[in-house]
Amino acid sequence: MARNEKQWNTHPDQNKIEWADSRIYSDEEIFEEELEKIWKKVWVPICHESELPAPYDFRTASIAREPVIVCRDSDNKIRAFLNVCPHRANLIERRPSGSFKDGTPSGNPKNMTCMFHAWQFDMKGRCVHISRGEEGYQDRLKPKDVGLRRLRCEVAFGGMVWVTLNDHVEHSVKEWVGSALDCILEPIEAEPLEIFHYHKSIVPSNYKLWHDTNSEFYHDFVHYHNRVTGFNDAYFARKNMTFDNGHVVVGSFEVQYDQYEGFESREALSFPTLPPNNWYMIDIFPGINYNLRGSALRVDLMTPLSANEVMIEFRGLGLKADTEEERLTRIRHHNTIWGPMGRNLHEDLLSITGQGVTMRPGTEPRHILHGRHENETIHDEVGMRHYYETWSQWMGRPLHNPINRPSVAAQ
Amino acid sequence: MAKTNHSAAVEAVKDTIYRSCLLMDDEHWTGWLKLCDQDFYYKITAFSPEIRKDVLYLDGDRAQIEQMCELLPKHNTDHSPLKRHAVVYTVDVDDENSSARSVTSFVIYQNMLDGVNSHIDAGTNHLFAVGRYLDKFIISDDTARFITREVRLETRRLDKGTHWPL
Repeated sequence: MARNEKQWNTHPDQNKIEWADSRIYSDEEIFEEELEKIWKKVWVPICHESELPAPYDFRTASIAREPVIVCRDSDNKIRAFLNVCPHRANLIERRPSGSFKDGTPSGNPKNMTCMFHAWQFDMKGRCVHISRGEEGYQDRLKPKDVGLRRLRCEVAFGGMVWVTLNDHVEHSVKEWVGSALDCILEPIEAEPLEIFHYHKSIVPSNYKLWHDTNSEFYHDFVHYHNRVTGFNDAYFARKNMTFDNGHVVVGSFEVQYDQYEGFESREALSFPTLPPNNWYMIDIFPGINYNLRGSALRVDLMTPLSANEVMIEFRGLGLKADTEEERLTRIRHHNTIWGPMGRNLHEDLLSITGQGVTMRPGTEPRHILHGRHENETIHDEVGMRHYYETWSQWMGRPLHNPINRPSVAAQ
Repeated sequence: MAKTNHSAAVEAVKDTIYRSCLLMDDEHWTGWLKLCDQDFYYKITAFSPEIRKDVLYLDGDRAQIEQMCELLPKHNTDHSPLKRHAVVYTVDVDDENSSARSVTSFVIYQNMLDGVNSHIDAGTNHLFAVGRYLDKFIISDDTARFITREVRLETRRLDKGTHWPL
């Protein structure tokens, strides 16, 4: 029976069914608070180490609107800094990636140079040159006083470069992730990995909706191959496991690729020690996803842009030791499912775009159900519940009443 | 005489490219594939300055692309039509007028239908992708058939992407 307004707005019984108020996805105030309380506090991977393979290579990104640069020093150590000049706050490096080995129009080789006034910095973030410094500042300001803002940076879990804006972060990356990635640790760390795929999406939806999609597989009904050939006993036995700090692992099973029309087994190119055609999905709080399907590793990194807009960067990784032929096969395996023209990625993105329509800022609050219990197996929404339990702790806001004021609609 | 043949070959190449655009605009995939040789190979590539590498987004031989197109109705998809605007920049025909290479610049517009909020967006056009078609042909009987097509994209922000060949 369809419901009238009162029935529609009546909260589900919390003891019977778990749910969230959709304003966690649509409220601008909550979004701004998330940037401050979560995204500026946690570790976020921003690229893979193979994106800056040689000394003086760099890669730029942003975390919670703060521009970030990572660069590789001559000793091969990767360091991270705010990509902000201490002089007049210009963006120092504008390119997405490159090398400082050669000079720039305003600066010397092997230095980062702010083109605006030609202040220069080395790979350790030290200011090494202030243009006409003594003439302008006399003894009042020296290069040692105006180094870059260094950020904590660690390379971990398959060579991802993790950065945090939080100088006082309590955990190392390994402590923060804990054992959530243990299930794929050997496959992704047995030998060096190398990036082979990159593209980005900006979709009108809240970032958590993408993370939800990655942490519940009940949505497999949207995917043709999963729907038609994937729903077998082994699939339904697949476990959802929760880990400290809001992380979730969707356990593996053997994918029957031979039953997918136009697909082939991934066995010959399985990541080291990974059983053939197995598939693990790991969701790291607050918006990072590792997805290992036999022969290819996908890593999604999210950059929330507003309550209703998120950039998702998609990376595909293989083994650095791949032959040309192996690499091409790996890329094809990756693309058939996960490429921008792949079968599943488009459907997933289409789904969260639809959610973004109904939960854009200013829409009525809705009840978002995540109350499926199936012995913590694949269609159990325990992953979402676990994520939001952690989210509530970080935010100090209950899920079913995240805002202590009436909704616009109620007013 | 050779000049006439050469001109006919150039025109045949242009005709095949433009017809393929119309057929793909109309999502008439079988019609498009009829313009392709049995040995046809298709790929979508780009150079990513982000990772400073060439990237391959999709590829397949004729049978694989055909199978992919046959499965399209079984997928949930964004049905917003993609419409191409293409200009053939160069056609280089071999001395025997039996094969050719061409470079075609294109933009693809997305005519919004159901991809976001149809009430608001349907009928709106967005720029979906920019790039070049790098094609190779075999030519016989004044007809040019695709042997290879590389869709060389400049666009790497592909948002929801698409299930369709570009």
